[in-house]
Amino acid sequence: MTEGKVVEWLKKPGDRVARGESVLVVESDKADMDVESFQEGFLAAVIVGAGGTAPVGETIGLIVETEAEIAEAQAKAPQAPAAAAAPTPAAPAPAAAPAAAAQAPAPAPAVAAPAVAAPAPVSVAVSAPASSASGRVVASPRAKKLAGQLGVDLGALRGSGPHGRIQADDVLAAKGQPNTVPWVAEGPGPAVAVAAGGNGAAAAGNGAAPAPAGSAFGRPGETVPFNTLQNAVNRNMVASLAVPTFRVGYTITTTKLDAFYRQVKSKGVTMTALLAKAVAVTLARHPQVNAATSADGSAMVYPAAINVAVAVAMEDGGLITPVLASADKTDIYAMARNWADLVARARSKQLQPDEYSTGTFTLSNLGMFGVDRFDAILPPGTGAILAVAGSRPTVVAGKDGSMRVANQMQVNLTCDHRVIYGADAAAFLKDLAQLIESNPESLAL
Amino acid sequence: MGRTSSDAILLEPPGLVPFAQAWQQQRQLQQRLLEDPEGPAAVLLLEHQPCYTLGRGADPEFLRFDPANPPHPLFRIDRGGEVTHHCPGQLVLYPVLNLQRHGADLHLYLRALEQVVIDVLSSLELAGERSSGQTGVWLEGRKLAAIGVGARRWISQHGLALNVSCDLAGFAAIVPCGISDRPVGRLVDWIPGLTTAQVRPLLLEAFAQRFGLRLRPG
Repeated sequence: MTEGKVVEWLKKPGDRVARGESVLVVESDKADMDVESFQEGFLAAVIVGAGGTAPVGETIGLIVETEAEIAEAQAKAPQAPAAAAAPTPAAPAPAAAPAAAAQAPAPAPAVAAPAVAAPAPVSVAVSAPASSASGRVVASPRAKKLAGQLGVDLGALRGSGPHGRIQADDVLAAKGQPNTVPWVAEGPGPAVAVAAGGNGAAAAGNGAAPAPAGSAFGRPGETVPFNTLQNAVNRNMVASLAVPTFRVGYTITTTKLDAFYRQVKSKGVTMTALLAKAVAVTLARHPQVNAATSADGSAMVYPAAINVAVAVAMEDGGLITPVLASADKTDIYAMARNWADLVARARSKQLQPDEYSTGTFTLSNLGMFGVDRFDAILPPGTGAILAVAGSRPTVVAGKDGSMRVANQMQVNLTCDHRVIYGADAAAFLKDLAQLIESNPESLAL
Repeated sequence: MGRTSSDAILLEPPGLVPFAQAWQQQRQLQQRLLEDPEGPAAVLLLEHQPCYTLGRGADPEFLRFDPANPPHPLFRIDRGGEVTHHCPGQLVLYPVLNLQRHGADLHLYLRALEQVVIDVLSSLELAGERSSGQTGVWLEGRKLAAIGVGARRWISQHGLALNVSCDLAGFAAIVPCGISDRPVGRLVDWIPGLTTAQVRPLLLEAFAQRFGLRLRPG
């Protein structure tokens, strides 16, 4: 906001003004703001009348402490054009310096206290919610944060926002980073090619960006070196070959989970958050599946917390596994918000190491692509990873020979056999299925 | 739970709500938040009986009827912007928020409300647009959503109106938002058969997401 229009004075000169009482209404664009006095006193003079426009920081009226000062302030004040139709340049306050309201991001004009005994008119200035016209850097909070993190000098930037406001994109552009958001899908497990296009048309009821149809990092005929992230993922995948893994699959009916998801979707809860929560709650009762082989291979390590990592593919190659820490103890709504925040920061490559390297169990979900089954490579240092495929209507035969249609999905658990045996994996999957099939509502408790 | 700052009470009064009733309710919610700025935010989602409203500084010139004898009730209200029209088939979202928790920037707030509508359109696979210098959301040159807000000590009221399936005839009696050269539109013209009941959850989800709020029934 660089200027505001005085819509209406709610007080007339000479009126008594209580602290916190609305004195006038300022409009900027389609937003009205009541401007209140922080000071008790009398409105002595209106300098910018209703209909007038004033830049932020200009004096638009005078408030004095006592009735006796009104006349003096009025004598010194420039005449207020009554109901000026044209924007009226406002003159600065005569006696006292205009209060520092212009610079203050305070809501109402900071009506400074008249410290001196002499009649000290106090200026009422148009408040500057976020910005000021006076050469100060005007930037969005996110732009400021990004600039700090990326070491970009905001003073050197031209903003592309309203009134030259610097936006996050401007900061990214200055840093040479693309200001388009990289494609991040909640997706491929390590075993799956990152270009998970495939059935991309079935994309994402849960806010994941639609996948481009079959992405590639190079053009035909080229040889493209792995980037840093891809190299890191590669090292982990090769290291996993030293782990004796096996896989156990399970078919889970999701009709109830899907219905519950529809109920909580409007509250910001994603399927990823629901699945992570279900896995975490089940892990709490199956600590063996949350355990891992120690780095030297001599012991079983039982982590202090259940941290569910979820694989996310990066548009420019590689994948990252943001961690929902203590997922068994975090409520589903907070977890959904955490997840949204983690994905957003993964996109801008701002995750801290402990936010992607402290998972004790990994979830890889390709359900949004309509995949019907897959398996995943075990991330080193953990005991198990669950590959979750898409849920689809399926004809299900009952034990009594009856048939019905239910939504079903396949999950596939990859385990380090040194720690987790087949019976452990099976018991974990059975409990997970039971939770999802019969009591998904409990995930919100 | 100690998480009230991200909670918002969701109120969805049924049927067609008279404007005065919703305005009164917003003022009560605003007053409550003024008295307890740390308290939960609130949001009203509803459809109005036909009416016209004028922003506090609105120019009556944009009325094509005699203000003393309006075709539907006419209100001059404490928001910014010119005249607009509410009617059945239009979803109205009135967030009563402490904007200090959301950037303390009225323009940013207007842009965020536009983004909520753009997000809703995008979930319907439509590409809503902003128009530089004109608050609101547009689709192929037609204005689908009008936005006007008011705030006291950063506590907001009023909000956005999204035309879903409404009869646009009522807009002919005014120059909506003072913009005479671009027509008003509604979503059914792009998605035949679309109802406000279908758009409600999309709007609430987009709003909750954009403002990081957890909506709970009041």
